Amino acid sequence: MVKVKICVGSHCSLVGALNILETLEELQEEYPDQIQIERVECLDKCEDIKKAPVVKVDDEIITSAQNQIVISKVMERIK
Amino acid sequence: MSRLKGIYTDIVKIRRMVFAELARLALKDAECEEFDKIPYRIIDTEEATYRSSIFKERAIVAARVRMGLGMDYETNQEHKLLSEGIRDFLNNDNQLKEPLVNVIRFACEKCPTNAHFVTNNCRKCLAHPCSIVCPVDAVSIEEHAAVIDQEKCINCGKCKEACPYEAIVNYERPCAAACGVEAIESDDYNRARINQNKCVSCGQCIIACPFGAIADKSMIYQLLKSINRGEDVRAIIAPSFVGQFGPLVSAEKIVAALKKIGMEEVREVSLGADFASLHEAELFAEAVPEQQPYIGTSCCPSWTYIADKHVPETRENISDSSSPMIFAAQSVKENNQNSKVVFIGPCVSKKLEALSDKVKDEVDFVITFEELAAIFVAADIELTKVEAEEEISDASYYGRAYANAGGVAEAIRQNLKEKYEIDPPITKADGLAECRKTLTKAKAGVIDGHLIEGMACEGGCVGGPGTLLATNRGAKNVNKFADQAPYKFAFENDKLNSRC
Repeated sequence: MVKVKICVGSHCSLVGALNILETLEELQEEYPDQIQIERVECLDKCEDIKKAPVVKVDDEIITSAQNQIVISKVMERIK
Repeated sequence: MSRLKGIYTDIVKIRRMVFAELARLALKDAECEEFDKIPYRIIDTEEATYRSSIFKERAIVAARVRMGLGMDYETNQEHKLLSEGIRDFLNNDNQLKEPLVNVIRFACEKCPTNAHFVTNNCRKCLAHPCSIVCPVDAVSIEEHAAVIDQEKCINCGKCKEACPYEAIVNYERPCAAACGVEAIESDDYNRARINQNKCVSCGQCIIACPFGAIADKSMIYQLLKSINRGEDVRAIIAPSFVGQFGPLVSAEKIVAALKKIGMEEVREVSLGADFASLHEAELFAEAVPEQQPYIGTSCCPSWTYIADKHVPETRENISDSSSPMIFAAQSVKENNQNSKVVFIGPCVSKKLEALSDKVKDEVDFVITFEELAAIFVAADIELTKVEAEEEISDASYYGRAYANAGGVAEAIRQNLKEKYEIDPPITKADGLAECRKTLTKAKAGVIDGHLIEGMACEGGCVGGPGTLLATNRGAKNVNKFADQAPYKFAFENDKLNSRC
């Protein structure tokens, strides 16, 4: 099971977190037993907006997260 | 719908960062010179990331800053610092003017206009149906592949349909493809140019351009300065707002956050929608078919601009009932005559509606959800941590469902059934091109007796260019919120009693 925490606070939502969440949820539909998504308030890493969005895949923190990076990190762990 | 709708790209990022910077400077009453720094704050690398040169990247950001302040587009032919222009603008009337939607001309990459091309999928097959079906003999079979003579080609698409290898593509400018009213033309340099006689300011081309070369003007700065001056500003928020600021941010939190940035009061525009749906039901019951053959709904400004500019014969049959925005604003100003009203919505063309003579005294500012999200960031408000205070309960289920395509007609129909025992035939036009087609049908008399709903954005207001969520997600949130409404029907809404 891959545990993904995604920040959906003000900063992160402005710069793409909602779109990453959407992609993650679509991925979860394909691998329902292997991905757990937690939407969290703030991971306290985005004091500079350039570091948002922040996503945590298991223990790995990804700042300035982008769709393709998050998805590939998740897929690495599924396979 | 443009393929780019709902996808977060670097264009979206830059647009939002510009909004956040403008809001930051407005909030701290910054000097004009501070605005000269915005292009450097946003493009802070040493070499270009997105375009041919970093100077061009910054010049484009500067053009966005100008329009973000509500200023007119400038061609860059004269030397003028951003700050000088801003000072002139702010010292004069500081009011944005038409045209609302503009091409940043030097950002336009001059995409080829509509044309059919043969790709290297072509196998130069023996059958070559492409050349056989061409009605103007434009396709010839050359040494390695089929070739289309662009001089002869009439873009009928027959060759594309006939090819067994999908080797022929129809190449369209994305901005022009997104424009259902054919307002995008070319200038002398072959860059996109918006024909303002045709443009209905829907904003779809802003989303569609993959080079971020089209932008609309904003009132972020004017709004925040008004709050800074201590004016009594009240917000009315459009029905598609639910969920736009993330899954942990409830409607009540959004209201509380708006109060934190200085709004005295926040009301649902759905309240105005309840009023509008009752009013339009009454008009329909009174006038159709005796005095007028059909009624078109009034809430989407771009839809009414299509009637104005493209099918003027139908204009008098588009309801003269005011839009939900106007009703909601009036209900605020009734009791607070010196207040200013800001409409917050998904919509670009509402900015233009608010500038019209009829509306300018009712609605003072219009901003989008995207612009508001940037304001929250600039004001350092963490939405997930805001304490929700009061519940909002201004409107009915059907008023809240106005934001989805079909929702407006359905609300009016429910009122007609209940109050007048009429169940009218309904025609719904979803998207710009369909709106125009439907109005043409209405003009021809084909849909007489109908209640006609027009929504310029596909999916309805939840598909608007100022949203943060993908259209289908926005629609789901709207439905869920509608289910929680204190009333089912507009005619049950006792908050309207004073006005009905």
